[in-house]
Amino acid sequence: MARKKDLQAVARRTDLARPIGVGVVVTAMLPLVILPLASIFIFGLSKGPVHFWEALVNPAALFSLKLSIMTSSVATACNVVFGIIAAYVLSKYEFPGDSSLTIIISLPTAIPTAVAGFALLLLWGRSGLLGQFLEHTDIQVMFTTSAIILANIFVTFPLAFGVIKPALDNLDTSYEDAAETIGATRWQTFRYVVLPSLRGAIITGALLTFARSIGEFGSTIMVSGNLAMKTQTAPLYIYTKFNEGDIEGANAIAAVLAIISFAIFSMIIVFRKRLGR
Amino acid sequence: MARQTMVSIFPEMKAFADHTPDLEAALTVRNLTKSFGAERVLDDVSFTVAEGESLVLLGHSGSGKSTTLRLIAGLEHPDGGEIFLHGRSVERLRARDRNVGVIFQNYALFPRMTVAENIGFGLRIRGVKSHKRAEITDRMLVLIGLAEHRDKYPWQISGGQQQRVAIARALAYEPDVLLFDESFSALDPQTRVGLRRDIRALLRRLRVPALFITHDQEEAMELGDHIAILNRGRLEQTGTPDQVYNEPKTEFVATFLGAANVVAAIAHTGAIELDPERLLPIRYNSVNPGPVKVVFRPEDVVLSTPASTPETPYPLGRGEIVDVSFTGASEAVMVRLTGKGELSSISEARSQFQTGSLQRSSARSGIVIKALRTKWDARHFGLHPGDAVSVGLRHFSVLVD
Repeated sequence: MARKKDLQAVARRTDLARPIGVGVVVTAMLPLVILPLASIFIFGLSKGPVHFWEALVNPAALFSLKLSIMTSSVATACNVVFGIIAAYVLSKYEFPGDSSLTIIISLPTAIPTAVAGFALLLLWGRSGLLGQFLEHTDIQVMFTTSAIILANIFVTFPLAFGVIKPALDNLDTSYEDAAETIGATRWQTFRYVVLPSLRGAIITGALLTFARSIGEFGSTIMVSGNLAMKTQTAPLYIYTKFNEGDIEGANAIAAVLAIISFAIFSMIIVFRKRLGR
Repeated sequence: MARQTMVSIFPEMKAFADHTPDLEAALTVRNLTKSFGAERVLDDVSFTVAEGESLVLLGHSGSGKSTTLRLIAGLEHPDGGEIFLHGRSVERLRARDRNVGVIFQNYALFPRMTVAENIGFGLRIRGVKSHKRAEITDRMLVLIGLAEHRDKYPWQISGGQQQRVAIARALAYEPDVLLFDESFSALDPQTRVGLRRDIRALLRRLRVPALFITHDQEEAMELGDHIAILNRGRLEQTGTPDQVYNEPKTEFVATFLGAANVVAAIAHTGAIELDPERLLPIRYNSVNPGPVKVVFRPEDVVLSTPASTPETPYPLGRGEIVDVSFTGASEAVMVRLTGKGELSSISEARSQFQTGSLQRSSARSGIVIKALRTKWDARHFGLHPGDAVSVGLRHFSVLVD
């Protein structure tokens, strides 16, 4: 009898554990994540969609969005190309210092973005290590679009590499052996056999890099100069409008950025699933 | 049946012949040596694959057979030795310039290419025009009987079909030799047997020279015009399936290719002595006097009633049944050789050399050998443990260390 009671108690406990557990997780997420996100849309649309639309089509707002998409695309392209090359080199060749190189490539994500921006200033700024040589030329790097791209490249540097390298490591070498015995050169093997096999990883890596780039704030505000219609990216626009008290202006762009991020995130999930197959 | 053909007496002769370069051969491998670190995986391996023939390299995993294949394909580089394809040294050629076709264990079909694209890949690489490429691809698809699967991806077809595609992909660019790396091991037994037969017929028809790598002796027997048995990086014996099965030159070959009785004995001029009562005649002076091993297959052991003498060339005297097990097509019988002599010379011979896998004798008396009978023999002359029988041999061979 006593034993039966124990079993029932256990059963009741496990029955309760699930709803309590789920409840704790959701309750914790509500003020921390869900409500903040929800308020962007609640506030954004509180004065009606017309207001929201007007705030969005403001030339400075549209410019900031375009600039963010452009700089993020360039940075993504650079980092994906670099990521493929670096992954191939580090996966196929052994050389002294190869493991240190892997760590160095991965380092930028560990560095605070404000530090990254500051570091770029110290390199390219007027009295910077390289910048001092550019002072009497027409070339200016800091406070231009180039500076934003450099900052984006720096902070998202290892993301594509980090996805492509494991995919390449796991690629069965017999495909490359087969291509070689069939008569393919190293380039043909890479082009027709290796690269298509990495398609999923390359797309995932690109999406991750783009998503991280388009939201970049800390380094961008240091190197861009935050000039409206010139070097003001979408996150900087949100910050500036908020400081000016233009909540609707900030809100419209914030909502768009959030939607872009959701879209990219969903695409990553889809590609991750495909990768798993 | 002449007695002298029964006994292998010149183990060196064939090996010597293998070392002479054969420029007519599709593939010649001479004195191939390869080490990985301190471990020597191939030690002085030589063999040839004649034009239009197939050779099976048979060995356990780790015997160096896959390394041999990779060396021939150019995917690894030998420490020593030479490889000739149609008489041309390939030492300085990279894998892609050797024009060999490799069928990998996992087939290595390119996952992002369709069946047709896989087959046409070698031609595409060689710059063959697309209409010509399509024509050859279609011919290959018909050859392997997969025309209706041309636009499928590798993961959409079965393992056996994948292997056919891998073969077609290699045949499409007309390789000098086909190399099969354990290509049947991943298939289920039924598919394997059928596919093996098809591929053998195909190779015969196209007269494409082929080298198969396998650890499966049944597969080796079926696929090989010749079989080369590799053991720990050394070639033990090369010969036709019949030669290596019936005239094994080493104990390893004898036991690897199927069940074998290996019995210690002493060679005299004109006879092999198992014990004073059991003498097996051999050609005069064909074996140097001294300790030897006698090898015979279970199916070469003949059992008859103790009163009669078995109608075989080599009587082995009396025996006692130890165990009988019926396996369907045949019956396995364990027989202890008995007699006055109690096989004293066997234990004597055994003490003279230290090889491990000799037949173990029971403390009470002589050695136990295995005999295999057909189910008809089993039915007409039933045997039970304890029965006395008369034992004879149809065939045996002698191993000299």
